[in-house]
Amino acid sequence: MVQLLAIISFASVIMRAVTLCLQSLVIGGLVFAVCVGSCDRSSEKVEQQIRRLIVGSASSLAFATVVLTAANILVLMVSADLKFSEAIGANFVLTGGLCIAACLAVVAIVKSVRIWQFRTAALIPAVLILITSVMSSHAASRINHGALLALFTAIHQGATATWIGGLPYLWIALKRARDLETARELSRKFSNLAVASVAVLAAGGLGLGVAYIGSWQGFYGTTYGTMAAAKIVLFVCLLALGALNFSMVRGMQREDATVVNLRRFVEAEIGLGVVVILTAASLTSQPPAVDQLAVRVNSADIIERLAPRWPRLKSPDQQELNYVIAGRQQSSVPSLAKDSLVQPDAQLADPPDYLADREWSEYNHHWAGLVMLVLGFLALASNTGKAPWARNWPIMFLVLAVFLFFRADPEVWPLGPTSFWASLLAPEVFQHRLTVALIVAFGIFEWKVRTGRTDSTYAALVFPAVSVIGGAVLLTHSHAITDVKEQLLAEFNHLPLAILGVVAGVSRWLELRIPSEDRARPILSWVWPVCFVLIGVILLNYREI
Amino acid sequence: MRPQTTKRFSAVTLTIAVATLLFHVAAASGHAILIASTPKEGGVISKSDSTFALQFNVRIDGIRSRISLVRPDGSVQVVSINKQTSPNTLTANAAELIPGIYHIRWQVLAVDGHISSGEVRFTVREF
Repeated sequence: MVQLLAIISFASVIMRAVTLCLQSLVIGGLVFAVCVGSCDRSSEKVEQQIRRLIVGSASSLAFATVVLTAANILVLMVSADLKFSEAIGANFVLTGGLCIAACLAVVAIVKSVRIWQFRTAALIPAVLILITSVMSSHAASRINHGALLALFTAIHQGATATWIGGLPYLWIALKRARDLETARELSRKFSNLAVASVAVLAAGGLGLGVAYIGSWQGFYGTTYGTMAAAKIVLFVCLLALGALNFSMVRGMQREDATVVNLRRFVEAEIGLGVVVILTAASLTSQPPAVDQLAVRVNSADIIERLAPRWPRLKSPDQQELNYVIAGRQQSSVPSLAKDSLVQPDAQLADPPDYLADREWSEYNHHWAGLVMLVLGFLALASNTGKAPWARNWPIMFLVLAVFLFFRADPEVWPLGPTSFWASLLAPEVFQHRLTVALIVAFGIFEWKVRTGRTDSTYAALVFPAVSVIGGAVLLTHSHAITDVKEQLLAEFNHLPLAILGVVAGVSRWLELRIPSEDRARPILSWVWPVCFVLIGVILLNYREI
Repeated sequence: MRPQTTKRFSAVTLTIAVATLLFHVAAASGHAILIASTPKEGGVISKSDSTFALQFNVRIDGIRSRISLVRPDGSVQVVSINKQTSPNTLTANAAELIPGIYHIRWQVLAVDGHISSGEVRFTVREF
């Protein structure tokens, strides 16, 4: 039952991330329909696709909310020993019910009214959905200034949904626009809406940042603060893309302008926007920095951890690892579980110091960094056109995958005693195996593309898509480190890696999708290899000791 | 490789990627942090001190929260939470405290719907 509760709690975090994305799509769609959609009244196809997306998002949001609410009720009933009638009186049940009702109202409105007949009243369910989201945010439970924080949260989330949530609808409308004049009008109107949204979003974010982070030390010394910093960096990247789109919209005044480039950059904005929303979901699961006073990292710790040092290129002996030492001690205590991946340290005669385990992890990161450095330089060499052999650089991903397969989890097959299939029951091992499979697929796809073995567009897009997803993984995952300070210091390596992964993916996506004669293409072709080189450098400087 | 097969493999790879992402999503820490308690963590009290107080950084739904007392003999007693007089504080009483090491295990539901839990260890002495 404890494991079931843990799985449900974990799943509810995923559902929270999913609901934030869906919420943005629903609100963004309704705002788009009211403020922009009337431009293209004659296009049945555009209207059909926009309606389908809004209805699909609202239905999915309702379903996700049902699942999330039910899961939380179950967790509450089991962990707090409550009856169903007691559990359903909680605020989150009321919030969930309101959200579901609002979603059903959205579906009913969109199915019965033409998009260009939407008036401001159509935004009422969107406002309700926003209110329910605010009710499950940090603001709802704050003791002081709750109303003000709720307002900042509402305008921040509402503006985000209007901008990022509206982008897929802009993409649909531009794809099916009947003529250039209509495309110009759509782009111009959405551009104005986006500019206003960015200003409101930034203002709301600033207010929340001051309230929840509170000080510079809160910014760099807590998990909440560093995640917020990563979100700000990604926001700046989004702004840069948005500024490019803005200038492209202005450029569309010329007679020979096309919308293709604009759609491609909108795709990149959508990808980056989703990553920002996932980061926000991760933030909502953390207590604010102003409340994390007990355990903070100071600047001296950070400087000491990030100071460049020679990488660890020699591995510690596997026999010095904690699982081996614990296994030897446990064999003299028959009551303890055997073949368990989780060692009950408290029952051991000598508490482990994990030094060898940390050296092992550093070694893994440093060799991975070397692989990425070689990969990045080979990709740069391939870009020059003067080293045709360098186009095989994706093979380095296979080298990385093999290395991780052997070294990531030394206590399981092939290096350790736990069998391959038994090891998959441990969540962390399963995650690593999944990641290895992903790197293999990723490497094979990109190698086929680079060596001309496939000319499929889909195959080429796998690499940038996985790079962005990989960055999102690093941004949102938690470390299995019990020491909170160590967890935070690990974030100082992982967050820059995540941002570089996302930037690499976005630049490669744009390089593939924009026309070959576009002036931005050569610049973009250098961005992602440089990102990989920087990833290699950061990995080489990774520290746990 | 045929275009259809490539498309299928691409879809599978992206599905694995999204699954990896979902599996890596950070575990919730919950919003409620214990900022003060009576007795304090590691504190020593006499057996006549039977009132516990837990103060949090956020507003708590006391009706749907839970406090348990783990006694020195390992038995666990669920303690009744008193009616809340402060939105971020829970109080409870326990009778018949004998000398030994105790743990207060708390689980709270914050008003925003997040569940947090923790423990406070204290010692009862004969004074």
